[in-house]
Amino acid sequence: MSSIITVTDLTKKYGDFTAVGGISFSVEKGETFGILGPNGAGKTTTLEMMEGLKTPTSGEIILDGKNVAKESDAVKSVIGVQLQASTFFEGLNLVELIDIFAAMYGTEANAMKLLEEVELTDKAKSQVKELSGGQKQRLSIAIGLVNDPKVLFLDEPTTGLDPQARRHLWELVKSIKAKGTTVIITTHYMDEAEVLCDRIAIMDGGKIIQLDTPDNLIKKLLATGFSKPVLQQQANLEDVFLKMTGHALRD
Amino acid sequence: MNTIYKLTIAEMKMFVRNKQALFFTLFMPLFIMLIFGYIGFDKPPVIDVGLVTYKPNAPTQQFIDQIKSFPTFKIHEGTLEEEQKLLNDGDLSIILAVPDYLIPTAPVLPEEKQSIIAYENAGQAGQAQTVVSILNQFNTAAAIKKANVELPFTVVERAVNVNNLRYIDFLLPGLIALSIMQMSVFSVAFVFTQYKEKGVLKRILATPMKPIQFVVSNGITRLFISLLQATIFIGLGLLLFKVHLVGSLLLVFLCVLLGAAMFLGLGFTISGLAKTTESVPAIANIVVFPMMFLGGTFFAVSNMPAWLQVIAKVLPLTFFSTALRDVMTKGSGFGDIWMDLVGMLVWGAILITLATVTFRFQERDSG
Repeated sequence: MSSIITVTDLTKKYGDFTAVGGISFSVEKGETFGILGPNGAGKTTTLEMMEGLKTPTSGEIILDGKNVAKESDAVKSVIGVQLQASTFFEGLNLVELIDIFAAMYGTEANAMKLLEEVELTDKAKSQVKELSGGQKQRLSIAIGLVNDPKVLFLDEPTTGLDPQARRHLWELVKSIKAKGTTVIITTHYMDEAEVLCDRIAIMDGGKIIQLDTPDNLIKKLLATGFSKPVLQQQANLEDVFLKMTGHALRD
Repeated sequence: MNTIYKLTIAEMKMFVRNKQALFFTLFMPLFIMLIFGYIGFDKPPVIDVGLVTYKPNAPTQQFIDQIKSFPTFKIHEGTLEEEQKLLNDGDLSIILAVPDYLIPTAPVLPEEKQSIIAYENAGQAGQAQTVVSILNQFNTAAAIKKANVELPFTVVERAVNVNNLRYIDFLLPGLIALSIMQMSVFSVAFVFTQYKEKGVLKRILATPMKPIQFVVSNGITRLFISLLQATIFIGLGLLLFKVHLVGSLLLVFLCVLLGAAMFLGLGFTISGLAKTTESVPAIANIVVFPMMFLGGTFFAVSNMPAWLQVIAKVLPLTFFSTALRDVMTKGSGFGDIWMDLVGMLVWGAILITLATVTFRFQERDSG
């Protein structure tokens, strides 16, 4: 496997405040790469620099052989983006919305096929304001796929969703990965990272403090002699909740 | 180009599906036009006259009937007490108390001559005076007839229609300018501030499209809407009020496009200044509200006090409404309104420059 993204010494400062302090990592083609960390760790800033939305103070990002700072338009053409808080135009239905975003990429999209991928075909003629939180995130991902991107960026895609909708979104992310798309995802949920990510970077205070596969990260921790009180229960409250309410989507 | 075309089509759909925008750009100004058009400021004002009579003799009764038939008088008959109460309430301009033998059937001595007592509303002295002078004319005419003398001269009236403008003719061009200002300023200021606030602009920045393409497609949409507005207003004005329209429609549309472009600049400036959607009306109204009254929409700038005219004359809306009015009602050509066009161009340049300074797709990245 070869790297599709190489980040070298990436730094972002706002005045005296260092949001991202000289991080380096690379992402392999086709993997799902997770960026974890508490609020304010610099996850979103890192993501937005990789997407060409923010200019790094120093450092370099090479994505698909292109320098993000210098060839941002070329980079934007090959990436798909789902932002943390993005709403869309009012007054357009989902099909029109996908078409208009395709036009912004200078391409045409098969809106119905994309909606089918994210299971929103029955909402094709609805407007965004009629969608539930999970449906909005799925639409956001469908719009992120209009240009058939090589890399898809997902910024906290499951925040605020109910357990059913979260699991549904995981399946969607897995199917996107299965098609060979590289996925970069930020999240606050460890279970999500464990299920979805091939490798994880843990950020804190603008630095990457660990980067490895979920298994290795756990092994490393155990190797230090860490142990926590062993639970006898083979289930947790979420299992109870899903057992009682089912896995079916509610929106 | 293809991207701009597709975006423009989508923007049109969004605009016409936005009921609030439609209300403010079309229905409200149309409503104003209908109200002002049907109120009819141009009809002669009616004067409320209280009439107190008792048991008049035949010639006096004839005189009373003549007063009653006068079209500008609205007659209220009653006892003196009743009429005086109405006068005190301000409902009458004048009360005429007519004695029974005002016009005697046989010659009488001078000291026996009777008089009409006119109780005048001091607050409506103008109307009261009109009534008194009309009565005096009756009197003079009767005396001349009685004396059987030749009049030294007569006046022959000939009505000549010299571009006689009614209020609706004056109002319509101003209303078109006003509604285009409202549409351009508010539809841009609200929508773009919302886009900024809700992260839509950021999402657009993540696409390879140039931000200017998005701005241009929004501009084209609104220029098109402004032409549509002007067409609807002129059409309805002709249909409902047969408004005076003598100028070149092409020149009208040129003024409309210039005016709309100028106010689009203002709209973008405001969305650049506004941090939240809630602050848009506050900022916009500081600029727009005074222009509603000083911009020559409802009143002619030339009727304002001199010091106010100095300000009113250079307002963007004044240039716009004056140019439109001159073309539509006087048939002015390009050469007559070039000053107003230059005024609009200068304002357009200022406002669009301000817009490019204040309006950003993204908060400035101070890194």
